Amino acid sequence: MSTIRQQLASPLQLLALATAGLILLPLGYVTAQALSADPAVWIRLWSTRIPELLFNTVSLAASVAVVTLFLGVSTAWLVSRTEFPGRRMWEGALVLPLAMPTYVLAYVYSYLLGFDGPVEHLWQLLAGPQARIFSPHSYWGATLVMALDTFPFVYLLSRSALLSMNVSFEEVARASGASRLSTLWRVTLPLMRPSIAAGLALVILYVVSDFGAVSLLRYQTLTYAVFQQMTGRSDNTAASILSLLLVALALIFLITERWFRQRSRFYQTTGRYRAPQRQQYGWLGTVAITSYLGLIVAAAFVLPASLLIQWSLSPEAQATLDRRFFGFIWNSGLLAASAATGGVLIGLPLAYLASRRPTLLNVGCLQAAYAGYVLPGPVAALAVLVLFTQLAPVFYGSVLILIVAYVIHFLPAGLQSLEPALQQISPNLEEVSRTLGFGMRATWRRVTLPLIRNGFVVAWVLMFLQTMKELPATLLLRPVGFDTLAIRVWMEASEEYFQLAAPAALLIVLLSLPALALLVSKDWRAA
Amino acid sequence: MFFTCSLPTLRRAILAGLMFAVVVGLLAPCAQAADKLTIYSGRGERLIKPVLDAFTASTGIQIELLSSGTTELVNRLKAEGNHTSADLLITNDAGSLELARTAGLLRPLNMREVERAIPAQFRAPDNAWVGLSGRFWAVVYNTSLVKPDQVKSLLDLADPKWKDKIAIPNSGSEYLQAGVSVIRAIHGDEKTRQFLQGLKANADGQVYQKSSQIVDAVAKGQVALGIVNHYYIYRHLATQPNAPIAALMPDQFEGGMGAIMNVAGVGIIKSTKHLESAKLLVEFLVAHAGQKLFADLDKEYPLHPDVKADPALVERKSFRAALVPLTKLAELREPTLTLIEQVGLR
Repeated sequence: MSTIRQQLASPLQLLALATAGLILLPLGYVTAQALSADPAVWIRLWSTRIPELLFNTVSLAASVAVVTLFLGVSTAWLVSRTEFPGRRMWEGALVLPLAMPTYVLAYVYSYLLGFDGPVEHLWQLLAGPQARIFSPHSYWGATLVMALDTFPFVYLLSRSALLSMNVSFEEVARASGASRLSTLWRVTLPLMRPSIAAGLALVILYVVSDFGAVSLLRYQTLTYAVFQQMTGRSDNTAASILSLLLVALALIFLITERWFRQRSRFYQTTGRYRAPQRQQYGWLGTVAITSYLGLIVAAAFVLPASLLIQWSLSPEAQATLDRRFFGFIWNSGLLAASAATGGVLIGLPLAYLASRRPTLLNVGCLQAAYAGYVLPGPVAALAVLVLFTQLAPVFYGSVLILIVAYVIHFLPAGLQSLEPALQQISPNLEEVSRTLGFGMRATWRRVTLPLIRNGFVVAWVLMFLQTMKELPATLLLRPVGFDTLAIRVWMEASEEYFQLAAPAALLIVLLSLPALALLVSKDWRAA
Repeated sequence: MFFTCSLPTLRRAILAGLMFAVVVGLLAPCAQAADKLTIYSGRGERLIKPVLDAFTASTGIQIELLSSGTTELVNRLKAEGNHTSADLLITNDAGSLELARTAGLLRPLNMREVERAIPAQFRAPDNAWVGLSGRFWAVVYNTSLVKPDQVKSLLDLADPKWKDKIAIPNSGSEYLQAGVSVIRAIHGDEKTRQFLQGLKANADGQVYQKSSQIVDAVAKGQVALGIVNHYYIYRHLATQPNAPIAALMPDQFEGGMGAIMNVAGVGIIKSTKHLESAKLLVEFLVAHAGQKLFADLDKEYPLHPDVKADPALVERKSFRAALVPLTKLAELREPTLTLIEQVGLR
């Protein structure tokens, strides 16, 4: 009893509770609104939109999963199990697509593969003037774009699994007479299974919550439908119902990912680490490997990036680089910096309490903060909007409401680097500081904070970047005069003014690159 | 040596500077300048910004523009209530303006300039909103794929012979909703439902977010026909005169319903603190000069009787408009949305 009172009395504790409440409240409101909706609305949605939307969403997730599985595992295997000139370069280059927001890749591909576009012209040279290729504004188009953008998740997880795997298992298999192929199939891949599954769950979560690509490719998913309901209807009931479904769907994948990540611990093998032997191939093999990797990196990054550069240099695009454009940069930076700072300030007490005093309550608060993972952009926007209109309509249309949405949405990304940073410092250090006569506050300032600074910085950069790229919540909640770079890309690209969208898109990609380097060395999971 | 000493202070100074900038940046938009208007606009930015820029150039009044979806902005105004920073609402649809008016968001106007310039059927009864420019649902067709006599009525577009040959706007667009409301008012729910079902089957995946994309698809021959507001066709032709497209005003035959008309318009927000400047803007928009901008830049039909439309357009007197009052679009909206949803348009 007294311990509970003690816990509650701590101001830090209250702060953590308030934060958790702030994050769960909007979700609660949306749920309540959806569940209290007129059953007629539910029935209407079930009989018209929901089956199609669920089917579209799940089948897109499935096809992207299959493609990324193939791309991710094969590239990871090549860079970690074979030796060829430029291997280290390719190792890094395969991560580059993470710097491309999905909506940028989508708009580049709707130009490339579009009706009467460059790829179709090439194809017509081969197959005759009437030949047509598949439209990018379709299931296959969405699959291609999402897969090219997300396969690095699977690649990175598979690669680290391959590198940390104890090679003795494979050697034993080989020594016992298994062929190379059968070793791969019966030993290596099963050992990688947890990592692959975690990567796939991540990919699926990403696909399910994506708004940018599907809206530009006009492929109807639940996330896109929530946005359309919010912008096309005068009440948000239908949007809440679809949101609830979406949250449930995302939750399933999130739990799957966590489950696999936990299970993967069983596979960690001890023993002396030894680098796996890399297979060498002749020049033919080298050419084949290089062209395979080159094709993927070109399609997912080099080609789109060079198009963006070319478009940005066009006179039409140059004409947009006026004072207004710098205003957009400033807005993007300002919003992203505020959201990242807010996120770090809010995340720190949560992560600190959960790692130092892991009571049920504290861990619960921390888990609540991860709710953002299952709140795709439009849903986060809807949730915050509903909350504010109910409780504090004064703030509607202000910067605050947008920043709250960002913080809720991106806190999980920040926590993922704050949490391990805190866990890595032994509490002994703090205890020593206390016994040597420092007070609580001095210990924080002189011991804890300096030690977690790196995690802090990574978390900040991560949230900064994600906020800068964010599209749907910004579209729905931005106050007057707060157009960002992402908004400009989307507005121009959705009318197919490819050149005009390019400078802003290119800037986003360039700004993402250094942060990506940071992520790959630390925690790239949230890119 | 110098650097090692000053680095921490420098860093702190930079940090402090940044924080200051953030705070100032966040507060700055709240500070209202006297000669500045905030406009919520549901029209495409490239259609309205040049007109507003012309106003700024002639009066010196700065304009802060928030471009977004019309319905979304009306929702936002409702939620913001008296705290809104908006001074005016510009939309692409009279029905939305009427809904904003009935929700008490707009301020009735007693302005002689408005009454003189804009005919009464294009304004709210109390002038809380004022139509600025007229637009019609037109069929855009590819001249090498379709003969103009193949389409007489909009309802023809539901014919299975146009399967996969037609592009339509998405169901969230207010002008589609308004158009369907007009068809319902004239033909009734059952016939409208059949029309929409046929249209949905014919368009299949060709459902577009933006009208300019529909015109583009028709010009490229990706589809044979599309439904758009007329001015998108002429804007396309203005930049690409050789594009193989043309506009067709449907339902002009004996007994046909006439072309579906809507207006883009403006209303002053009830809680505005810049009434005088806002009135100046309305005055500018309805006057000769403003109306001419809508005609020349946007290729819309000006509502001021003395201002001529762009000569490239179909002569306004040569076709009839459907006889459904604009104010009625508001009450027709809800059942129209239900019908659209039942049919399952995207």
